[in-house]
Parts: sequence; structure tokens; C-alpha cells
Amino acid sequence: MKKLSLATIGALALALVTLLAVRILNGPPQAVAAALPPAAPGQPGGPVPSTAAALTVEYRAQPTNTTVEIQGTSTFHDWEMKGTSIGGILDFPAGTVFDLSQATLPGLKDGSLPASGTASIAVRNIHSQVAVMPGVMDGVMQGAMKETNFPRIIYQVTALKLKTPHAAGQPFAFDATGNLAIAGVTNTVAFPVTIEPLDKGKIVVRGAASLKMTDYKVPPPAPNIAGLGIMKCGDEVKILFNWTLMQVPPKQP
Amino acid sequence: MKKKKNSSEVDRRAFLKNSSVAAFMAMMGGVELTAHGAADAPQPAGAEAPLTEIPTLPAVNLGVIGAGVWGRKIITTLTLLKNDSQFKNTEVVAICDHYAAWLNRAGALAPKAELFDDYKKLLAKPEVQAVVVATPTHQHRDIVLDALKAGKHVYCEAPLAHTIADAKDIARATQQAFKQVFQAGLQERSHPHRHFLWPFVRSGALGRNVLVRAQSHRKELWARTANTPERAAELNWRLQKAVSTGLMGEACIQRLDAVTWFLGGPRLGGRPNFVTGFSSVILQNAGPDVPDTVQCVFEFPEGANAGVRFLCDATLCNHFDTDYEMYYGTDSAILMQPGDERRESKAWMFKEDDAPLLGWEVYARKDVFGAETGVSLVANASKQQALTEKGAAANAPPAIEPLQYALQSFTANAGAVAAAAKDYAEDFGEADTPEFRAKLAETRKFSMTQFPAAGWEEGLEATVLAIKANEAALLKQRLELKNEFFEL
Repeated sequence: MKKLSLATIGALALALVTLLAVRILNGPPQAVAAALPPAAPGQPGGPVPSTAAALTVEYRAQPTNTTVEIQGTSTFHDWEMKGTSIGGILDFPAGTVFDLSQATLPGLKDGSLPASGTASIAVRNIHSQVAVMPGVMDGVMQGAMKETNFPRIIYQVTALKLKTPHAAGQPFAFDATGNLAIAGVTNTVAFPVTIEPLDKGKIVVRGAASLKMTDYKVPPPAPNIAGLGIMKCGDEVKILFNWTLMQVPPKQP
Repeated sequence: MKKKKNSSEVDRRAFLKNSSVAAFMAMMGGVELTAHGAADAPQPAGAEAPLTEIPTLPAVNLGVIGAGVWGRKIITTLTLLKNDSQFKNTEVVAICDHYAAWLNRAGALAPKAELFDDYKKLLAKPEVQAVVVATPTHQHRDIVLDALKAGKHVYCEAPLAHTIADAKDIARATQQAFKQVFQAGLQERSHPHRHFLWPFVRSGALGRNVLVRAQSHRKELWARTANTPERAAELNWRLQKAVSTGLMGEACIQRLDAVTWFLGGPRLGGRPNFVTGFSSVILQNAGPDVPDTVQCVFEFPEGANAGVRFLCDATLCNHFDTDYEMYYGTDSAILMQPGDERRESKAWMFKEDDAPLLGWEVYARKDVFGAETGVSLVANASKQQALTEKGAAANAPPAIEPLQYALQSFTANAGAVAAAAKDYAEDFGEADTPEFRAKLAETRKFSMTQFPAAGWEEGLEATVLAIKANEAALLKQRLELKNEFFEL
């Protein structure tokens, strides 16, 4: 009788954690951390999760060693924008350890690593790399991406399929599938990523995705340059990122 | 911070204003957006709307504390900002003055503003994001500290304070408030013309520095009349020795700042080490206790400006030639006329016969001053432009006053830093960490390349110079300007 009620509490706590993980999009992380129950499932003192789907190893975005680059073309010259902040979290199953010396990963299910999580980038934190009046180009981009209404680019991962065989010492390579929301339009996208462990419980997720602005109803900017005519941007852009996250230490009971 | 900028950064705005924009932009890999061109252009595939104008900066709601003559000028200027599409979301939402007549007069200038008789009530309003402090100098400290504590961005008029201790308190408080922008009211620091001139002067157009002279001449009475003796005492704070920074502070601080900046600032030998002052009460135009005519001589330490002296003089008894700075070097002299509501910011170079030929000056526009001919120092100062410019137009009031540039910088930088702080807090939390500070410092630096402004360092530097110069003038003595006066 007592055991049953504990399991019920465990299930409730699990649901709560899942809810909170979603909530992280809307609020600062410390608010979430404060709201976390003292003993979450899978952590010392908490009930052991019953299914493999419990994603209890949480990595949280770090403010340093992160870059995001957007590369594009135009009829005038290639262009580039850069940012240094990606917020969000990634959750993996209990016991997930990224050990490069191993041939595979613990917690794999049908060749995929169960994962959930969100990466979000504030549009106004991505800056044009032109030498003159970069603020103007930033504004062009923000206008095109309807920044006022959709201030963030949001990516939600739904599947991470491990590429095999994994060569020892190399970062783990995955085919990532997820939903990418830009300017109010969400599309399912697939692109390769790698995950490499760093020191102090950190990992870096690297990847590159190609996409078309028009798929997100973003008009490729075509500003008129005095004396030179229209600079028409190419529809296709490439997003490259290095995202550093750190494992949230399991709470002590 | 600006002192470290390279020339291609600092003169950008002024250069772009008058230059062949397309050619320059093409060279630098940038683009200019024109309203007409984009509207006429055929739309690219997938485009929903043409991009027609420079996008709007983040909205900033401002409060103005102090609604005297200068405070009302600030309110008027802030309302003018909205005419520029970049600043159309700037709004004066609150005004404070404890003198009802002034408050009502100020309220008429900004109809959307809520009126307060106590600045603490204004600071308690969460919708006020930024405040401009335009009260008497000796009241700045408490208001600025409270405003920073309340999380507001602060623009504090210069001088920052009437004592060095108060100015340092303000400087220290700004460092705690890392999520906020603090700007000292030193307008020349935001003026594009000065940023055009600075690299020109610093790259050696003067030759070796010889001496500098600057002045602020007015014929005016500082005393004001009021209904009651109490109000008169309050109104005439500039006439009270105990709180007034005198002519050096209230009339000359912009000159003190600009000259020491152009001589290199504290890092490049432009911080004086001695000041000698003289003063007289000639017409009692600043009352019986505060001198209405003052001369100060600043000396510089060994280094870039060894042997150079800077004479700054001010009077309320004769207005001839009003305000200017004159830099004398072994190759040329440069006259800088600051802009104000009546005239544009201008500068001329007067070359020595044995000075090396720079090249461009042959084609530049020239103006005659008595027996001397000055080469006009504006971006694109060509003869062609001189021919198209009417004589009358050359003396017309400026399209944008220096105060407006300063307030543009304040709103733009405050908006940018506030936006970056919000984004960071959403991702990584509100805690004061080195990473958070670094991120906001990066944002501020990036914003200031477009919208330069004086920070606490420049504000403290100029305030200390003004206070010590005033002291030297009252004592008619030579005082040492110790480094500790300027350091926190």
C-alpha cells in the first residue's frame, strides 16, 4: 500500500518535470529550478523511473562558448550574421553518458537516443557582420523575420538517430529531426549534429542546417543600394552552430 | 572607450552624412537603404512587403526630472526624436518638478506625460525605463543613485555633481547597475562632427601641440526673480558659493571635456596635472559671491602634451565670439565652433606656410577670417559644395542640435542594453555573473559604435576638472590635479 502511493507520487513528479521542461521556454531557468521538487525521479532519493522514456539527465544552455552563424548569398556579395547566445535545455534518459572511448551510447532505443529539448535564439541578438552600419542590416533582418511578433527562433528536437559505427575518440554523430519555428512558421527539419563531451559536465552540440527563407514566409530582403541597384538576397541560407550546455547536477535529498 | 577607436569607426556617421554614400558603402561591403528606391523596386519572389525604411529601435519610455529652462529644452528635444523613424517609439511618459508652475509648463510640451511633484514617485513607476536628470547640480547625486537603484537608465546633466565625493558616488553606483546605461550630459561626445574631427586631429594634422585656448562668453545675468524669497533662494543656486561650480562648471564643462578629449584624454596624456585660476566679480552677473569672469590655465604632465597649456576663460560680462576651442600646433591651428540652437557645429584649419601639404585641402572649401583663411573641416568639404551652398544657409540653425544627438544616443543605447538584458535573463537567469556583465558590455560597445556617448568615466573626468578649476579660480591659486581625484 505504501509502495503504491510512492509510485503514484513518482509518476506525478515525472509529469511535473515534463511540464516544467516545457515551461522553460517562457521563464528564466532559476524559476524552474526553484520550482523543481526536491527529489525528482531518477535522482538520488527519488523513485527509479519505470520506463526508458524518462528523460532525467538534463543539460542546460551555457552563456559562453556558443556561436550561431547565418550565412547567405546575394546578387551583390555573400553575407553573414553572428550571435553568441542560444538558450534552452536538452534532456536524455537516465544513465546517458557521452564517453567518446565507447563504441556506442547507453540508453539507445532502436538506434536512436531518446531526447527532448528546445533551443531558442533571440533574433535581435544575431548581428550583421558588415563593416558599415551593421545595425541597419540587423534591422532589415529583424523586419523580415517579424521580430516584434516572433522574437525568437525556436527549435524542438524530436529524434536523434546515432550514426554508426561510432569511431572511438570522435564526437557522437546523429541525424537530428525536429521542429523549427521561424517568424511564426513551423517546419519539420532534419540535419546532422555532433555531440562532444567537454570537461566539468559540459557538452557541445555542433551542427549545420540549410533552409529556405520562403519556407518560413520570410521574404528574402532586397534593399535598393543608392547608385548600385537592388541587392537581392538568395533564398537559401545556412545556419551553423556550436552550442555549449552543462549537465544540471542531480539534487541531493 | 571611444579613445581606442580607429578612424574608420569614429568618423563614420559624419562621413556618411555628406559623402558619396554608395561608393563608400560599396567599398566597405555595406548597403544603404533608401525609401524611394525600395518602394519602386520590383519585389523578389516570395516577398510579402518591400523593406522601405531603417527599422525602428526598441521602444523607450522616458521620464524627465527637473523641469526648469534646461529640463524643458530636453523635453522638447525628446519629443523631436520621434520625427526620426528609428526613434518613433520614444515617449516622454513622466515629468517631475516640485515647482507647480514649471511642471505645468513642461506638461504642455509632452501631453502624454504623467506629472509628479516628487521624483521618488516618478521612479516608482515601472513603465518609466529611463530618466534624464536636469535638476540643479548639487541635487544630482541622490536622484541618480535612487534612479539607478530603481533600475532606470540614467542621463545625468554635466557637471555630475558639485563635489568630487558626490561625483564618485555616482560613478560607483553606475558600475553596480550593470544592466543599465548611464550617460553623462557631455554632448560633444555624441556629435558626429566631433567624431569626424577626432581622428583628423589625433593623426597629427596639428603637428606638435603648442597650446589650446577655449572660451565661453555671454552677456547675461544668472540671478532670477521669484515670488517669494524661499523660491528665489532655491532658483538661484548657481549664485551660492557653497553649491555652485561657478562658470567653470556651469558654463565651461563642455569645453573642458572636449579639449581634454582631443588632447588624448587620461590614457594618452590629455589629463592636466595642475590648474591655476583667476577670478573677478565685475558686474555681479553671478551675484556678489560667485565670480562673473574667470580664467584658468591647465598644465599637462610629461608625455604627449609636455609643455602644453590650456587656457579656458569665461565671462558673463561680454558675449563676443561666445563658445569655441582653438588648438594651436606647429603645423596648423584648428578652430572648433560647437553647435548650438543657433548654429551648426563647425571647424576650420589654418595652416602654417611650412606645414606639409595634406593634398585634399587644395580642393577644400575655404572661409576668410580677417587676414586669415581657414580650410573648412567637414566631410566632403569640396569647392563644389561651397558653390551650391548659399551664404545665408551656411548660417542657418542646425537641422539637429547637439543635445538631440546626445539624447538619441541615450535612448538607442538604453533600448539596446535593455533588450539584451531581457534576452539573457530569459536564457540564463537574472544573476549578476561575469558572463552576464560581459554580454551587456559587448552590447553596449556595439551600440556605441553607432551611437557614441559619454559614460561615467568621461563624466567624472570633466566634473573633477570643473570643480578643481572653480576652486583654483576662487582661491586665485595653482592647485595640483592628483590622479586620486579621478580614480574610484
